[in-house]
Amino acid sequence: MAFNYDKYLRLEKMPTLWCWGCGDGVILKAFVRAIEKMGVSQDDVCVVSGIGCSGRFSSYVDFNTVHTTHGRTVAYATGIKLVRPSKLVVCVAGDGDALAIGGNHTIHACRRNIDMTMIIINNFIYGLTNSQTSPTTPKGMWTVSQKAGNIDPTFDTCDLAIASGASFVARETMLEPKKLEKMLIKSMEHKGFSMMEVLSNCHINLGRKNKMVSAMENLEWIDSITTTKKKYDLLTEEEQLNLLPLGILKQDLEADEYCDMYAEIQKVHQGQRAKITQDDFVKKI
Amino acid sequence: MDMREVISTGNELAAIAAVDAGCMFFGGYPLTPSSEVMHVASDLLPKVGGVAIQMEDEIAGICCVIGAAMAGERALTATSGPGVSLKAENLGLAQMAEVPLVLVNVMRGGPSTGLPTRVSQGDVLQAKNPSHGDYKSITLCAGSLAECYTETVRAFNLADRFMQPVIVLLDETIGHMHGKADIPTVEEVKAGIVPRKTFDGPAEEYFPYECGPTEPAILNPMFTGYRYHFTGLHHDKNGFPTEEIETCRKLIQRLEDKVAMHEDELESYEEFMMDDADIMIIAYGSVSLAAKETIRHLRKEGIKAGLFRPITLWPSPAKKIKEYTDKIEKVLVVELNIGQYHSEIQRAAARLDIAGLFKVNGRAISPHEIVTKVKEL
Amino acid sequence: MAASPMVNPGDQRVWVNTDNCKACDICVSVCPSGVLGMKYESTSTLGAMISIDHPEACIGCNECELTCPDFAIYVADRAELKAAGLSFAKLTDDAKERQAAIVANNYMSLSEQGVK
Repeated sequence: MAFNYDKYLRLEKMPTLWCWGCGDGVILKAFVRAIEKMGVSQDDVCVVSGIGCSGRFSSYVDFNTVHTTHGRTVAYATGIKLVRPSKLVVCVAGDGDALAIGGNHTIHACRRNIDMTMIIINNFIYGLTNSQTSPTTPKGMWTVSQKAGNIDPTFDTCDLAIASGASFVARETMLEPKKLEKMLIKSMEHKGFSMMEVLSNCHINLGRKNKMVSAMENLEWIDSITTTKKKYDLLTEEEQLNLLPLGILKQDLEADEYCDMYAEIQKVHQGQRAKITQDDFVKKI
Repeated sequence: MDMREVISTGNELAAIAAVDAGCMFFGGYPLTPSSEVMHVASDLLPKVGGVAIQMEDEIAGICCVIGAAMAGERALTATSGPGVSLKAENLGLAQMAEVPLVLVNVMRGGPSTGLPTRVSQGDVLQAKNPSHGDYKSITLCAGSLAECYTETVRAFNLADRFMQPVIVLLDETIGHMHGKADIPTVEEVKAGIVPRKTFDGPAEEYFPYECGPTEPAILNPMFTGYRYHFTGLHHDKNGFPTEEIETCRKLIQRLEDKVAMHEDELESYEEFMMDDADIMIIAYGSVSLAAKETIRHLRKEGIKAGLFRPITLWPSPAKKIKEYTDKIEKVLVVELNIGQYHSEIQRAAARLDIAGLFKVNGRAISPHEIVTKVKEL
Repeated sequence: MAASPMVNPGDQRVWVNTDNCKACDICVSVCPSGVLGMKYESTSTLGAMISIDHPEACIGCNECELTCPDFAIYVADRAELKAAGLSFAKLTDDAKERQAAIVANNYMSLSEQGVK
């Protein structure tokens, strides 16, 4: 066979509990393919997932896995990474987990630029708990907590990550798994905090009451609200309004990575170097 | 035991104890009156190759500590009442997933913002059940400067023995008290470290949560060739989520029994002049220092008072308490809250006539106040 | 012990693990060559099951395998297939037309009625 999926799956847990056609499964597949291509040993990988459908991600893969409380993936992962800085630590969280209850932690993980990858699977709704509004649910859509229509404005996940200081920010969808796989590799190979937003479908919750009953209709909708960054940059503001650009949106290879900086702190306390001062930084404020 | 004399504060001693006991990670957030624990940890840990980080909030503070402990390190956080309130949910995950850690709570006036720079013992009941659900808390209380050190060391060993969070209660008085303390040498502490159990057989035969009904999980550190799952959901022997009836029942019963069936290993108290006492004062933490002074004073007047000082507050030394309360009529609980441990004493004694001296205005209880109350009994 | 469903059951270009298929239609929608279609199956999820109707038309693009969320469909490795003396097909206009018809038939095999 071409690819040994069995190696990476906890086979006794299959088939997954995700609905038919759920993008989570496509992303899971792209993720294990990416790990294999990177040549990282399973023992050296830690996957930390949050609460929600995407939270079940970690229980299906054969790595060191953690299923945390709602919103706290990056906080747990920070502790793991700081004591094991050479290991590959990946967070998987949904839009509600990462941007609502977990918003603060997401912002600060971006700010710290600690070397880990956060995959935010954005399906524009709270799926597992049946259709409550999330910070990315499009305005005017029906949700179970806003049956008269959603009036909440939305976040742009990637803008938030860029503004918060993440050194690698990218967005893909589960429509093109080959591209997704390549981008996952880039995210995980990047040294620093990589925020990867993956747009996904939730036809059972978001779609069903918003005139997109089948998985295919939701995939078409995602296709209709996305375009490549190259094309996006050439559009007018009005044309850009209801589109999300795909691809690498930020890549800073110069930013200080937190574990490296902490290693310097250790050197200071061990008398191996002078204290860190303002002069050690170009961007000081 | 080889001892050494140091001059320090309670908060500092707690941080020093953690590092001496092999702690390699501190995560937390500034909160008066506990912040000095973080400040000292942030100097001591990087020196020994460990990590101390000030996170963005109290919740992140406990989460990163749990993460570090999952990875295999001894990990510490320090806070006060409002911080424990914030950490509650994740303390529950640590209980459920059986992750060892030490939480130092330097108690201040509450509830809510309360009295940030003033003493209280108002978090005693909270320490028994900080989080929702069924589990059994282990809570120690330092009653002297030296115990800020020794109880923190003991907390790390208990956390690894029972595979769960252990709370060490200080209070603002003891946390900020500056004085002399006789504590064990570093060598003694290192020799006494009992790390968590690990499994060293083949990975296919490793089931972290498959253990005897009164035993804790055996959780190998991450990245060592044993891959399993941590979750706050009810889980099976691999750590995978399950709703299976018997598995769930057994899990919760085991979380209870792993502590409840081994209370002898946890029990710790001090009996001060109790041999011939016909008045028993029960006090813990900084109040016990005033209580001892009270007893010395009363004894000079011929009043045979004694102090029973619980050191492990939860599980409570119920049996020992009942031994005393069965034969001593005059029992007085003195605490800086409105009777939180008093209700436990009444429960253990099966009596409703236990006296109480409660102070909740953020000030210490003086020996004089206790003497007056004792004479009223 | 049964062989893993991942292993080619015998010189196939593409094969399925019906235990995992949840009849989501995605693989049918991405096939360029009209190889796949759903068939009615009352005992499985959504009352349907994936069917490999035209294996001879499989071009080995791998899209079905990559987009299946449930590890239910696998495509042979090109080199392995060659070693068995077989090869993938080329994409033909007929195949493209058939694919369009399958999509129009609500992703059901052309031998099935299109409304689920």
